[in-house]
Amino acid sequence: MTPTDLVDANLLRTMIVVATPLLVAALGELVLERAGILNLAIEGMVTLGAAAAFVVLFAMAGLTGGVALSLLSAATAATVVGLVLAYLCVGLRANQITVGLGLLIFSLGAASLLYRAVVGVTTSPPRVPTLTPEAVPGLAEIPYLGTVLFRHNLFVYAALLLVVPVWWLLFRTPLGLRIRATGENPKSADSLGLPVQRIRYGAVLAGSALIGLAGAFFPLVLTGGWSESTVGGRGWLALMLVIFGRWRPWQVVAGALLFAYVDAVGFVFAATSRLIPVQFLQMLPYVLAIAVLVQVYQRAQAPAALAKPYDREARY
Amino acid sequence: MTELDASGALTPRGDADVEAASGPDGALGAPPGAARRQTVWADVRIYLGAVVVALVVNAVLLLAIGADPLVAYRQILSSSLGSVAALAQTLNRMTPLLLGSAAVAFAMRAGYVNLGVDGQIYGGAILATGTAFALYGLPAAVVLPAVLVAAILGGGTVALLPAVLRARRGVNELFTTVMLNFVAFYAADYLSTGPWTDPVAGEAISVPIGAEARLPGFLTGGGHIGILLALPLVVAMAWWLRRTRAGFEFRAVGGNPRAAQFGGVSLVATGVVALVVSGLVAGLAGGIEVTGVHRRLILGLTPNFGYMAVLIAVLARRSPLGAIPAAFGFAVLIVGSDSLQRSVGLPASAVFLFQAVVVLAVLYFEVRRGGVLAAVRGRVGR
Amino acid sequence: MAEAASARGVAVRASDVAVEMAGVSKRFGSVQALHAVDFSCRAGEVHALLGENGAGKTSLMNVLAGLYRADAGTIRLHGRVVEMRSPRDAIAHDIGMVHQHFELVQAFSAFENIVLGAEKRVWSMDADRHRGAIAKLARRYGFDVDLDRHVRDLEIGDQQKVEILRILATGARVLILDEPTTHLTPIEVERLFGSVREFARSGLTVILIAHKLREILAVADRLTVLRRGRLVGTLDAADADEPGVVEMMIGERGALGTASCPRTVVGPGTVLAVRGAASAEDQRAVDLADVDLTVRSGELVGVAGVAGNGQKELVELLCGLRPLAAGSILLGERDVSRCSVRERIRAGLATLPGDRIREGILPGAPLFESYALGLHQVWDHSGWRPGTVRDEAQSMIGRFRVVAPGADAPTAVLSGGNIQKVLVARALAIAGQGGDSVLVAMNPTSGLDVGAAAFVHGQLGAMCMRGAGVLLISEDLEELLAMCHRILVLYRGQIVGSYEREAFDRYAIGAGMVGSGD
Repeated sequence: MTPTDLVDANLLRTMIVVATPLLVAALGELVLERAGILNLAIEGMVTLGAAAAFVVLFAMAGLTGGVALSLLSAATAATVVGLVLAYLCVGLRANQITVGLGLLIFSLGAASLLYRAVVGVTTSPPRVPTLTPEAVPGLAEIPYLGTVLFRHNLFVYAALLLVVPVWWLLFRTPLGLRIRATGENPKSADSLGLPVQRIRYGAVLAGSALIGLAGAFFPLVLTGGWSESTVGGRGWLALMLVIFGRWRPWQVVAGALLFAYVDAVGFVFAATSRLIPVQFLQMLPYVLAIAVLVQVYQRAQAPAALAKPYDREARY
Repeated sequence: MTELDASGALTPRGDADVEAASGPDGALGAPPGAARRQTVWADVRIYLGAVVVALVVNAVLLLAIGADPLVAYRQILSSSLGSVAALAQTLNRMTPLLLGSAAVAFAMRAGYVNLGVDGQIYGGAILATGTAFALYGLPAAVVLPAVLVAAILGGGTVALLPAVLRARRGVNELFTTVMLNFVAFYAADYLSTGPWTDPVAGEAISVPIGAEARLPGFLTGGGHIGILLALPLVVAMAWWLRRTRAGFEFRAVGGNPRAAQFGGVSLVATGVVALVVSGLVAGLAGGIEVTGVHRRLILGLTPNFGYMAVLIAVLARRSPLGAIPAAFGFAVLIVGSDSLQRSVGLPASAVFLFQAVVVLAVLYFEVRRGGVLAAVRGRVGR
Repeated sequence: MAEAASARGVAVRASDVAVEMAGVSKRFGSVQALHAVDFSCRAGEVHALLGENGAGKTSLMNVLAGLYRADAGTIRLHGRVVEMRSPRDAIAHDIGMVHQHFELVQAFSAFENIVLGAEKRVWSMDADRHRGAIAKLARRYGFDVDLDRHVRDLEIGDQQKVEILRILATGARVLILDEPTTHLTPIEVERLFGSVREFARSGLTVILIAHKLREILAVADRLTVLRRGRLVGTLDAADADEPGVVEMMIGERGALGTASCPRTVVGPGTVLAVRGAASAEDQRAVDLADVDLTVRSGELVGVAGVAGNGQKELVELLCGLRPLAAGSILLGERDVSRCSVRERIRAGLATLPGDRIREGILPGAPLFESYALGLHQVWDHSGWRPGTVRDEAQSMIGRFRVVAPGADAPTAVLSGGNIQKVLVARALAIAGQGGDSVLVAMNPTSGLDVGAAAFVHGQLGAMCMRGAGVLLISEDLEELLAMCHRILVLYRGQIVGSYEREAFDRYAIGAGMVGSGD
């Protein structure tokens, strides 16, 4: 491993691919948290989204529309979990930490069961072809940058560009203002006649759908298969990214690229490096997350009502 | 600054209007005795209701993969409780669950959420294995206690960083403990595929520890005495919480950290104790798994037991004693579904689904019941 | 009580009536907050809703604003029956409420806060139009605020302007102001009332919730008085005389104040001495600097100030929760500057924190544990014997006539007044351990009914009688004037004035509180 390896075009290209699910999941979580809901089930929802996407790809092998349907099923599966989360935490005002963990475990179990129900018991795990990268005509030929930026599948671009609508929604529309008000001070929004519960429900469902979509990227772009360890903590990393990004979409993009880079270094050097054991490279994103928390946490401005249920008639 | 309600209780937060929920001077509700009896009965109904819901949900899912639910349920019970050997297996499974959930419940009593039991179990397992290798060949009377102490310290070490970061930098332990799960996992992966690997196995498995580092058997069929270590420890934790001055201060922090501060209780010290003790207890679970079950360091030692431990602690309402029956129930499910895995190919993690449904159903019934006390509990956040 | 209203001869022509509430009842748990209350106000009038703390004023208005759903009763607006299920309904009927504790989004700019309710569209914002409309409202009522500043950076008076603007911007024609003068200086109160008159002139109906009578009589057209959740009566401000209204507010119990200055011999011994104290820098708090204060044995020293000038920080500094950057704190002869909270409690320093629920009790724990918290530091038995503690708490319940089902009952079922009794009992037990003890009390009677306040005042006096010192930090200047031997004025973290009892000057102290003293 030499210093030039660290800016190798293929490594940076991998970084962008690896960043997509992290980014999409983190943006979903961002929408939820901006409305004041903490979703500790995110790792499970991504895993479930990945399983749902995979089983559709597997069942529809080669048929047209398989990709679209797999994305849809990933989003739907996670949204169903999100609906339970919203019902318990928004509707019934249950503790978000316990509900989140309950749904985390639930989703992990549901994902395995779904896989088992569709794929059955197999000796070697089946795979589906991942989406092929497509070179953008002309631009892909630019040395270095062409490889890094312009040899991706359409879905990778779509994922990266997703930050624009999310940012626009949250920070440029009246609806976004209402969502953020709900996460900062639900009573304030309520006293102005805004439907706090409905806004929170909407944010949870929309955010969950994004989190599920993030899961679809694992079989579609990254692995082509599914196992219980496919997601392997990247859902949790997405949760960290929201803190890293201080609840702002563009900073979340920066964070996703940083974490993806560290993750990609693990991927790429796992095969080649003899100096550092693979496991230490795989550990890096999590160590980085802790370092980031230490640096960012105290100054970060979380939505003031994050993880706090809202009850109109409570006087405190 | 995130402000998470770390009480982790089964209860909604913020519902309470203390002034409103209380009587006007002179008029209060039913006497506490009758109220308590009512509460107990309501609790029983909640737990039974949750189990029924989970049985029904699970039956549907079993049908979906083509298994007969009744047969499956019978098999779960017979494989986990049907014989002494089966019971021994269940108790083996129960031990890390009990220690883990007691650890989580303990920290929750002071308002801290330890999601890092998995990592702390690995920490304990790593130090236990290392110690067993280092003391190879010495008498069992020396080795086994040393190995278990090492395990305890290993778990505590993993929990120390979140404790210090919480105390020093205010970093929420929820996130740091989760991240350390992965760090500890990869550390165990490294050791079991690298320096300690068993070349014959070709998997993430270390060479076995010596016979002198093995936990004595209990009952038959591979049972070990881990449960006999865990139960007194859990009872001691419950006693400390209820009957000591330090335990009172500890619970006071969980009840209302700000009021506890005004009462002269140090939040920093309490937080460190809560997380480190939690880690120490979870570490013992790792040591017991290594010395009692696997006799080596392996990956997938206790898959996702950390999150299950949180669910058990929630079911037990943050009481270490309550964790005993809850952990037993979860162990029955795990052993039972292990056998379903062999017979109908139920994936190992499908058991999560059942457990989660039980917990979510309890949460649901509990929140629906509402009630003044349910609403008040955990109202004061940090 | 409805007869009382008619007996006072208030005739209302139906066409004028903007709001009419009839038979409104509301129950919280076991508390009947409102008993079939009737209330009405005319379009274009300033109507004061008076009553003591806990009389039900805010609850009644929360019902009108859709925040609480009434258990019984009807609401008519301009003669038409309407259903108030949520604030949304109230807004739709042009009713808006400015709450005592403002409901602003601190992280938003003033503009975002106002536009949040005014913008009805979903996907696009017409910022320019809103800016124009807001500027027009602001000019008309004299609310000059920098719209682009974050609310958290605004002074409290400006926050109130934003709060009112955001309600006006929803198109409200009935404006409810809940205790709007609480956080304001006398000058700001004058200005606010100027705006209130302007509202009425432009046809808005203003309902002012208040418990301070004097300032209200000057601005209101009519008054409605509530007591213990019941209507006492409605009358024209012109016909109202102060003693008469006070009697309506507090009932037979008569005497206006229960606070009186304890007639103790202030000893030469100093129980608390703070010299040149400064708190360590903290961006989220008011920094205290150069604080000098002395409390002698038997002395009741008051600290006056407008909320948010360092009162909370002073309590924390004294009890050991806030680090001392400079200076020293002595309890008696002992320098406790470097001592922990625990050691200070053991040295005889008791605290009645400002927020009795958030800072005083363990809501979910049994009462005896809440009582023991802090007190356990001075008990000599090192163990924790629940039985003994329970017995002590039980005897305390008897001695202080705390209304509670028992020492085992969850603390949260007690009413605010009884919770404060328990905290006072605890403080007495800590400060009564002998030696040079001192009690630091912050707003000990805020939100209490007359009986409970009288109890607290009595106990503060009794402490002085026993030779302890009391530092009473209160936002209620009347309370301080009535009780203290000496009053210090706290402004922006500094002591800016000190007045001996014989030289008490309400206006000088008031000026010092707002930074315009000499």
